[in-house]
Amino acid sequence: MLFHEIYGTYFQVVADILTEAVQGCLTDQRLTNIVQQKAFAESTLSIPTALKKQEWPLLTPTLGTVVHHKPTMPLTTLEKRWLKALLLDKRIALFQPDCTGLEDVEPLYQPETFVFFDQYTDGDPYTDTQYIQCFQTILQALHEKKMLKVEFFTRTYAKYTIFCQPNQLEYSSKDDKFRLIAFGKQNTYTINLARIQSCEIMEEPPSIQKPVLPRQKQKELTFLLYNQRNALERVLLHFSHFHKETTKLDSGQYRIKLHYHPDDETELLIRVLSFGPMIQVEAPQEFIDLLQERVHRQLDYFSKNRTT
Amino acid sequence: MAYSELIKDFESIRAYMRDFYVYGFKSRNEYDKKSARSYDNERRRIESWLGEYMSFHYTGNSKNVFLSVDSRTISANPLYKAFKAKSFTNKDITLHFYILDMLEEGRALTVGEMIEEINRKYLHYFDKPISFDESTVRKKLKEYVSIGLLCVEKKGREVRYKRTDLPTVSLTSWKDALAFYSEESPLGIIGSFLLDRLQGVPDFFRFKHHYMVHTLDSDILCQLLEAIYTQQRVKLTITNLRNALEYQRSLCPLKIYVSTQSGRQYLLGYHYGSNRIAFFRLDAIKKVEIGCKEECFSRYLQLQQKFDQHLWGVSRGNTQALEHIEMTIHVENDEQFIVQRLKREKRHGTVEMIDEHTYRFVADVYDATEMLPWLRTFIGRIVDLQCTNPVVEKGFFEDLQTMETLYGDDKHAVS
Repeated sequence: MLFHEIYGTYFQVVADILTEAVQGCLTDQRLTNIVQQKAFAESTLSIPTALKKQEWPLLTPTLGTVVHHKPTMPLTTLEKRWLKALLLDKRIALFQPDCTGLEDVEPLYQPETFVFFDQYTDGDPYTDTQYIQCFQTILQALHEKKMLKVEFFTRTYAKYTIFCQPNQLEYSSKDDKFRLIAFGKQNTYTINLARIQSCEIMEEPPSIQKPVLPRQKQKELTFLLYNQRNALERVLLHFSHFHKETTKLDSGQYRIKLHYHPDDETELLIRVLSFGPMIQVEAPQEFIDLLQERVHRQLDYFSKNRTT
Repeated sequence: MAYSELIKDFESIRAYMRDFYVYGFKSRNEYDKKSARSYDNERRRIESWLGEYMSFHYTGNSKNVFLSVDSRTISANPLYKAFKAKSFTNKDITLHFYILDMLEEGRALTVGEMIEEINRKYLHYFDKPISFDESTVRKKLKEYVSIGLLCVEKKGREVRYKRTDLPTVSLTSWKDALAFYSEESPLGIIGSFLLDRLQGVPDFFRFKHHYMVHTLDSDILCQLLEAIYTQQRVKLTITNLRNALEYQRSLCPLKIYVSTQSGRQYLLGYHYGSNRIAFFRLDAIKKVEIGCKEECFSRYLQLQQKFDQHLWGVSRGNTQALEHIEMTIHVENDEQFIVQRLKREKRHGTVEMIDEHTYRFVADVYDATEMLPWLRTFIGRIVDLQCTNPVVEKGFFEDLQTMETLYGDDKHAVS
């Protein structure tokens, strides 16, 4: 059962409180801090009271505890089965976790149970030795906050070598690709991992801090949504991962404002096009210009065809 | 009953969270499923769990609450918090820590021994302790055995309980994998539970095109995966998403289809009522009842494999006949990435080169109307579009005309 109190925040927070109580270092202030840091916004009204009033008889009045050991919990069957299922995933080679303890566990599911029917088919080569090595080098650099020397090819097959401070590994399930986000002296780089030819950790201390360059400002797209053919649900779900705001206008019309990264403009344009006339972009004008250009070009193709 | 930030039943909060996150334009009056007080309580709970992601705006006199987050900027799905808010009784939490504490260091105890220790070693510190009768303790032990926290050792008629710590799984070695899979894997919420046990969780994974809302269907998915793994039949209680009416379907669950471009999840199964393969959206399923073993599971799986060969999305169309589609596109000299797009985004069919600047995509699918959104992404490059289903061509041209009125002038109108 997934929805169970043993996985809950309250149990976790009480375990943390008892851990400090077992060590004899729990104070009123620490109790409050733990609840504030790890539980929900209103938990300070419930957890300390329940413990102090002995509704949960776990703490003594002097903030000692009746439990004798630091609280721990074995893994549940569900947790073990989920871990075992991960061992069958194609990307697990990137992480190489210790499989001990899961030998006799049944996986929760087989990878082929899932069909990602619209995932792009040119995903990263997760079983390629060089790719795995590169991934692990990047992971190590991220953990140890080390600089990297990275050789990679661009989309036009130009070869580059850069020195950078890795910052994030970004994965897209639609593309089935990892990208390295890293800081250089002048730029922030986004590099597809599959395009990296070699990658090594530089032993000297990082000479690059987070760039002082102004962050690329997000742009705002505003569009009207005409709720035909269940477009309301389809559009809002499709764009749900953006920071956005929806306002209901007349019945059947909505205005949506979403924030996007300028680098993703072409992709967003394609996504807007996919909804056809159910979406009418209102701003920015340059986005409208791009749409107009595509629509006009398409109409020209068709009218030429009809003429010939 | 006094307000609590914890909930007994996940189903009650599921719809509210989805509405706040996906839609976000409804005012208090538009949540008419239950009472206004119920709305106030659910909104307050969600605010307690996810306050930093909640926003408000005012439309006329009404205040609209919504959840908004750019999922690309965060390393952990905040909606998981809802799964960590299950309510419990005072006895539940007390027994949890007592039992696991008593059974530390490999000890194995009977129910009687545990009750004796609870009274002697734990409760005697308190003036007005709660009391635990044997049936309460026995019930909790049985529950913990069923979820795998404890196991049973039997010697004759004597039953002893012990923890299931062995064999140990080194979670520390899983840290990076958990940080990734807790967001990216089906039922990633379980990874989040595991991460809660660890210190120093990596914060450097980010996720683009990350559809977080479908985590709200995790409990349903978990039950369906169990049924698929054990090849058992299920009875589903489903809510019609348009008219909110409930109905039931009995079927053999076979696969979970996931859209990486909307996050939608579907169960594909063999539906006994209509004797054919059918899809059901997970967010419409309210309840799963697991039934008996399905002896024909392999046969149904073969049907699915055959069925999948011409499936573009999740529609089987109105007829059994396949629909043939051909799209010819123009590519400029420096636009090989368009050809790459065709090749990597097509789910079925072929891409052939007609000449240096012209490529044709050809496919046979059950329902070509499902392809319209994808076809539109090539607007501005399509030289020709032919389909045996006239609705596709007609729909495409009509939509293009409407777009022309939205964005363009009249000189390009298709006549």
